[in-house]
Amino acid sequence: MPLKMKKIFFSFFSSLKLTITLLIIIAVASILGTIIPQQYGGGESFRHLSPGLFKVFNSLQLFDMYHSVWFIILMGLLSLNLIVCSLDRFPASWKLFTAIPSPDRSKPFENLPPESVILTEKDRNEVIESVANILTKRYKKIRRKDADSATFFYGERGSYSNFGVYIIHLSSLIVISGAIIGSLLGFQAFVNIPEGESTNTVHLARQKGVKKLDFTVRCDKFSISFYDNGMPKEYRSNLSFIKDNNVILEGPLLVNHPITFNGIRFYQASYGSTPGGKAYITVIRENKEENTLKVKQRDSFYLKEKNTKVKILRIEKNLMSMGPAVLINIQSPEGNMQFWVFKHIDKIRERIPGLFKKVPKFNPGRFKPYYFKLDRIESNYYTGLQLSHDPGVVIVAIGSIFIILGLFITFFSSHKRLWVRVDEQDGKTKISVGARSNKDPVGLKREVEHLLSYFSSIG
Amino acid sequence: MIINTVILSWVTFIYFGSAVFYIFKMVTGKEFCGSLASIIAFIGLIAQTAGLILRWFESYKMGIGHAPLSNLYESLIFFSWTTVLLYLIIEWRVKTKNLGAFVVPFAFFSMAFASFSPNVNARIQPLIPALQSNWLISHVITCFFGYAALTIACGLGFMYLLKGLEKGESPRLFFRLLPDREIVDELTYHSVVIGFIFLTLGIITGSVWAYSAWGSYWSWDPKETWSLITWLIYAAMLHSRFVRGWRGKRMAIMSIIGFASVLFTYFGVNYLPGLHSYF
Repeated sequence: MPLKMKKIFFSFFSSLKLTITLLIIIAVASILGTIIPQQYGGGESFRHLSPGLFKVFNSLQLFDMYHSVWFIILMGLLSLNLIVCSLDRFPASWKLFTAIPSPDRSKPFENLPPESVILTEKDRNEVIESVANILTKRYKKIRRKDADSATFFYGERGSYSNFGVYIIHLSSLIVISGAIIGSLLGFQAFVNIPEGESTNTVHLARQKGVKKLDFTVRCDKFSISFYDNGMPKEYRSNLSFIKDNNVILEGPLLVNHPITFNGIRFYQASYGSTPGGKAYITVIRENKEENTLKVKQRDSFYLKEKNTKVKILRIEKNLMSMGPAVLINIQSPEGNMQFWVFKHIDKIRERIPGLFKKVPKFNPGRFKPYYFKLDRIESNYYTGLQLSHDPGVVIVAIGSIFIILGLFITFFSSHKRLWVRVDEQDGKTKISVGARSNKDPVGLKREVEHLLSYFSSIG
Repeated sequence: MIINTVILSWVTFIYFGSAVFYIFKMVTGKEFCGSLASIIAFIGLIAQTAGLILRWFESYKMGIGHAPLSNLYESLIFFSWTTVLLYLIIEWRVKTKNLGAFVVPFAFFSMAFASFSPNVNARIQPLIPALQSNWLISHVITCFFGYAALTIACGLGFMYLLKGLEKGESPRLFFRLLPDREIVDELTYHSVVIGFIFLTLGIITGSVWAYSAWGSYWSWDPKETWSLITWLIYAAMLHSRFVRGWRGKRMAIMSIIGFASVLFTYFGVNYLPGLHSYF
C-alpha cells in the first residue's frame, strides 16, 4: 500500500467519529431488529400485509438481521476501528508506562498551591534522607537527582492503569472472535421427540436443514408438574443417550439444567402433546357387566357377540368445547353405526335438554344393549429439545472476564506521578510536592495530602 | 393483604414525603427541610428493607421460598430500593442534598407504580422453571444497581440543564443553591461509570444464565438487544468524554438519552415479543 493511502486508511479507521457513527448505526439497526419479527418465518405475516415491502425487506435480510451480511460488515468495521485505534494510541501509552521522567523537571512545581509546600527548621540533608525513605516505602519506581541547590525525587504508582483501555478493547475483540468461531464451527438445532421414541436426526436452526447425530436420543418420559395455583413448577424429560445400542447416559433434563453429551448440550426448550393419546373406556352391557379398556386411536376390539367389532376412530381432548370425547364405530351384522362418547355426557345433557333426540350421534347408549363411558384421556407428550454445540463459548467467557478486569483498571486505578523537590528558602529547608495523573484528580489530591502529612511529620 | 405489601405501600408515601421535602429544600434553601428529607428517606429505606426481608420469609412460609426478585412488582420495589440506597450513599459522601429532588421522585414513582397499578400483581408467586436458577439473584442485583446508578446520572443531567438556565449577574436564590456545574458534571461521570460497570456485569451474568437456560449465551432477544443498545449509548458517552473531552451540557443530555434507553430496556421491551416476558 502506498504511504499516502496507508495514512488515509489509518486516519479514517482511527477516528472517534467513525466509532461513534458505527455505534449509532449498530444501535439503530438493533432497534429495527427488535421491531421487525426475527423468528423463522417471522416475515410471513408481513408477506400478506404488503408483498412489495416484504420483497424489499427480505432482500435486505431484515427478517434475519443479526446474521445478515451488512450487520456482519458493520461489526467487522467496528472491530477494525477498535484494532486501528488501539495500534494508533498504544505506543504513546507504552511510553508513559516505561519512560520515567527526569526528577528535576520544573513544570510540575509551577503554580503549586501553598499547602503543597512545607517549610522546616531541620537540616536539609537529614530531610532529604527522610524523604527518600518515605518515597521508597510508598513507590516502586523512584528516581533521584542531586543538584547543588536542590535534590529532586520522582515517584510513581499505577502505571498499569494506562493499559486498562487496551485490555477492554482487546477482550472485546476476543469476545467477538469467540462469537465468530461459535457461529462457524458450532451449531444450534432443535428436535421434538414423542415419549417412548428416539431419534438421531435434528433440525438445524434458521432453516439450514437437518443434521444426523452419531448417537441416538430417546425420550423415555416427559412430565409436567404444577404448583397449587396452577403455575408450572417443573418440566422434566427423562432422556437416554444411546450409542451402538448401548445406553451410555441416562438422566432427567430440566430447564436450567442442560445435559452435555458428546460435546453437545441439550436443553429442555418446549413440549407439546401429540394428536390422539390413550383413552380409558368402560363398556357396560345391560347395566351390569362392566369392562374397562385402554385404547389408542385406530384400535379395535370385539364385543361379547363375536360378530360385533368396535373401532376407535378419533380421540379428542376437547370436542366443540364440551371436553374429552371419543368417536367409535360399531360394525355389526345390522350394519355400521358411529357415535361420540363424551366424558362429561351427564353435564352436557343437563345443559341441552333432549340432546339425544336432536343429535343421536352423541348418545353413548345408542348401540343397545350396550352403554359406553369415557373415563379419561391420557395425552401423549413430546419433548422439545434445543441442542447447541459452541466451541467459542470458552473464548467468549475469557474475553468477558477480561472486559470486567479492564473496566476496573480503567475506572478505578490511575497513573499517579509525583515530583518532590527539597531545597532551601530563607535559611529553612523547603519540601515541594508536584503531581500529575492521567485521571481521577480527587484520588491524586488524596495521594498528595497523604504524602504531605508524612513529610510534615519529619519536621 | 399480606403484611409485607402493607409495609411496602406505606413506603410509597414515605418516599413521597421525602421527595416533597427535598424539593422544598431545593427551592427555599432551608437546611432543615433537607435534613428532614434525608431522615424520611432513610426511614423509608429501613422500612423497605424490612418489607423485602419479610416478603422473603413469607415466601418460605408458603413453601415456595425465593428471593423477592421474581416478577414486575418485586423488581419495581427492588429498583426503588437500590436507587434510594445508592442515592443516600452519594448524599453522605458528597454532602449535597439538592440531588434528592431529582432522584427520590423516581423511587417514589416506581413504588407507586408497583403498589397501585392494576396491572402489577403484588402476590408472592412461585418460580416458573425458567427462573429456577442460582443466576437469578446475581443477574437481577447487578442489573438493578446499574439501573439505579444510571437513574441518578439522569437526575444529575436534569440538574445540570436546570442550572444552565441561570442568567445574569445575580441569579435567583434557587439557582445559586444548586451545586456548581463542574461538581454536577463530575458526579454525572462517576454515576455513569458505576452504572456502566454494573450494566456490563448484568449483561454478562445474564448471558451466563442464558447459556444454561436457553441454549445460547446470546440470542438477540429484545431485552438482550436493548441492554446492548443501552450499553452502546453509555460506551459512546464515555468515549466522547475520554477521547474528545466532552463535558457539561452534552454529557447531561447523553445521560438523559441513556436513561430513556434504560427505561425502554426495563419496561418497553415487555411490549415486544421475547423470552423475558415474565419481567
